[in-house]
Amino acid sequence: MPERGNAPGAPHVGLFATCLVDSIRPNVGFAALALLEAAGCKVEVPLQQTCCGQPAFNSGADDAAKPLAKAVIETFEAFDYLVAPSGSCAGMIKAHYPELFADDPAWLPRARALAAKTHELLSFLVDVRGFSPRNVVCKASATYHDSCSGLRELGVKAQPRALLNAVAGLELRPLEGEETCCGFGGTFCVKYSDISNAIVGEKAQNVVATDADLLLGGDLGCLLNMAGKLRRDGASTRVFHTAEILAGMADHAIGEEA
Amino acid sequence: MSAPAGTFHDRVEKALHDPQLKIALERTTGNARRKRAAAVEAWPEFSAARAAAAAIKDHALAHMAYYLEMFERNALASGAQVHWARDPDEARRIVVEICKAAGAKTVTRSKSMLGEEIGLPHALAEAGLRRVETDLAEHIIQLAGETPSHIIWPAAHRTREDVAKLFDQYHREKPPAHDVVSMVGSARKELRADFFAAEVGISGANFLVAETGAICTITNEGNAELTTTPPRVHIVTAGIEKIVASTEHALQLTRLLVRSATGADLTQYTTFHSGPKRAADRDGPEQFHIVLVDHERTKMLSELPEMLRCLRCGACLNHCVVYRAIGGHAYGGAYPGPMGSVLTPAFDGLQQTRDLPSACTLNGQCKQVCPVDIPLPTMLRHWRSRSWRAGYEPKIAGAAISIWAFVAARPALYQLAQTFALPAMRLFAKAGWISSLPLASGWTAHRDFPKPPRQTFLTMIRKGNRS
Amino acid sequence: MNAREAIFAAINKARTESGASAAIAAEAQACSEAMKRTLPALDLSDLAALFTARAGAEKVGATLERVAALGELPAAVARYVAANNLAPDFAVQPDPRLRQLDWGALRPGAPLRPDSALAVGIALCGVAETGSLVFHSGSEAPTLYEFLPLHHLVALDAQSLLPRLEDYAVFARDLAVPRNVNLVTGASGTTDIEGVLARGAHGPGRLHIVIFN
Repeated sequence: MPERGNAPGAPHVGLFATCLVDSIRPNVGFAALALLEAAGCKVEVPLQQTCCGQPAFNSGADDAAKPLAKAVIETFEAFDYLVAPSGSCAGMIKAHYPELFADDPAWLPRARALAAKTHELLSFLVDVRGFSPRNVVCKASATYHDSCSGLRELGVKAQPRALLNAVAGLELRPLEGEETCCGFGGTFCVKYSDISNAIVGEKAQNVVATDADLLLGGDLGCLLNMAGKLRRDGASTRVFHTAEILAGMADHAIGEEA
Repeated sequence: MSAPAGTFHDRVEKALHDPQLKIALERTTGNARRKRAAAVEAWPEFSAARAAAAAIKDHALAHMAYYLEMFERNALASGAQVHWARDPDEARRIVVEICKAAGAKTVTRSKSMLGEEIGLPHALAEAGLRRVETDLAEHIIQLAGETPSHIIWPAAHRTREDVAKLFDQYHREKPPAHDVVSMVGSARKELRADFFAAEVGISGANFLVAETGAICTITNEGNAELTTTPPRVHIVTAGIEKIVASTEHALQLTRLLVRSATGADLTQYTTFHSGPKRAADRDGPEQFHIVLVDHERTKMLSELPEMLRCLRCGACLNHCVVYRAIGGHAYGGAYPGPMGSVLTPAFDGLQQTRDLPSACTLNGQCKQVCPVDIPLPTMLRHWRSRSWRAGYEPKIAGAAISIWAFVAARPALYQLAQTFALPAMRLFAKAGWISSLPLASGWTAHRDFPKPPRQTFLTMIRKGNRS
Repeated sequence: MNAREAIFAAINKARTESGASAAIAAEAQACSEAMKRTLPALDLSDLAALFTARAGAEKVGATLERVAALGELPAAVARYVAANNLAPDFAVQPDPRLRQLDWGALRPGAPLRPDSALAVGIALCGVAETGSLVFHSGSEAPTLYEFLPLHHLVALDAQSLLPRLEDYAVFARDLAVPRNVNLVTGASGTTDIEGVLARGAHGPGRLHIVIFN
């Protein structure tokens, strides 16, 4: 297991990259690593991690979700913190693992213990580490979508804005309906594709109406949904995970080839 | 409710291809959201108030038998007649028999979702009674031959232009103009005589007040009192979960109910009805019947207890991205939106309605705006898990989840799968994007997908190369 | 088992909670108190001013005036009739306090009809928090007076004002339960067409309140 950052007394953070970041946008994982180290953490990326089990849990397949949840608990329970660059995966662990193991006396205490030290990346940087990016420049206008799980399950709202306000040259523009769901909803967006399209269509219109260069957010699922719709609609808005901007690693937006 | 037409998917497609529906829904729910937000803003402790309101309802539900007996005792003492119905069939039969015994020809109704739930409109028609809906929205949909599409604004799917067409066609005296005020005036004229022609008036109840035996209705138009006062007989149909301990609790809940529904501090008319006309009274019905309906509620006491708190304010509908996209009729039950997606499987059976709890992004906004803090996403997930265990989920979707979970639980296999899948996906990409992908048409029908990377994050970490 | 027995059996199967009625009442009281602690602060120093502000607010939409005594009601009615071009015939709620007033040139004897233009009434009390008028039905206060006329003009005793809805609930505990308790908050209205508020749905389109001392 590779380790990075070695300041004495630094908290030992296990980075849960999430399956989407791992497969689709590794840059978010590297940005998260860089930010956590800059915030004084000793970061490890456990290599046996896969997925938090959310798609199964949200499909009602608790029996399929449990082995995945157990694997996450076993992998991360020794760390001081589990940090994930996603409100919905962190929310799954924090809010729903204890629910999933409510009737399992062996696993419930372990699920609760991990839940207590699980954080979404951006809120962890601000609330736990008091971190603020220094000497980061991004000359662009941006608008921000609050992903639902982070917002409502974890209270992520002010933290990303505080971080982005410290980025030189970045102008944040309000988004109409910024707290309204983008229509992703995990498997919802493929199971009920047409409803999802109606919802993300409205979101894309609101994003375009801001005339901002960038659309930012904290959850890759939602960002892929909105980016894919903006692209299909012919909009030129560039879409990034907030961590990529904060880490100064925003060379290529979602869908831009290196 | 009679069985809805077509499958959920058919109804959704129809709704999504109706541009007028989107306009109508956005006008009504948009107004509702703005007004609610302003009302909540003026109550800094609203979040604590939601918890207190939930506790008031939970208290009544915890002592449900105690309070229902108290309600019945006090209602009987006021001269009311109390009837109990296990299911919609029993409830309809009781109502129709009372109407027949009263020699009724015309029956006025003020809006009641419980009435819709038990199929009362249909039962009255079958019994040969002339049914006059007196709530403006119910009047509109009666003219259109439709069912309600929203629990507060039954005609939320109709624009004012639609209403103008209906009133021009059906009103004895056409509205003088097509602005909202003129059309409201036209309905007032049209319905005036019916309030006095009816032998029976039927209402619902927002609360059953144990302490007094009164039922409480919360309305704005004045039609409820005009429906329940002039006729000889007033029939109330209410679900047993409407029970509250006292007038004080009813009024405290009303504060949140009204703000959540219309953004007002109180409805224009908050009325407590208790028994028939007293000896010295100059108006009021001679008979006052209360039909208390179970219809799965006693089952929900164990299975979905928090759902019985529901005040029927409609805030979860107005804030639901799915409701706003497809409207109420697509849901196919008496109650649409998030609360309907919890209730309808309980009423109509999960196997036929399994799409409702699934067709939701679990974004949690419904819970956030619920005045009694019902954990709607948790309850929707409860149905999903019931449906999964019962084997109601479509085979392909179920297999996909199972296979994926099997693979994801085995890191080595998972990495191997990625090693094959990602390069395969890359073959479909052009200029960084995939616009069509086999087995992923649910995504690519409407959106592009970015070209996946050559290597996964974990592979790069394993090899020690950073981005 | 009849329906009633079956329903109670099902409830008792699902819910085992019971207890002495005193304990249940204490729990109910605690629920009310918890709710009261969340309420926004109100300036209760002048209930008539608070009532006027709330009932006259745009979203309630009543019009109001204050007079020194109930004896000045006929003059207020005369002004209202003139200002709104109404006929001097109108219905008066059969409350002795209103019937014994000197109505002068006005003709207060008209019967209440489905299309009455004006009815004059008197409220049992008012709730300042919401700007609501309270009516208890009875021989002196038939319910339909509040619902049939197009204009409803209501006298309200400033001394009868209660601060909040909870205070009404306490006040009502000592009174006989009437057939109808009506809390009237503004003129009738509807938002049923596109969520837009329109006044005068089936009840009065105008509500004018005359507060007297």
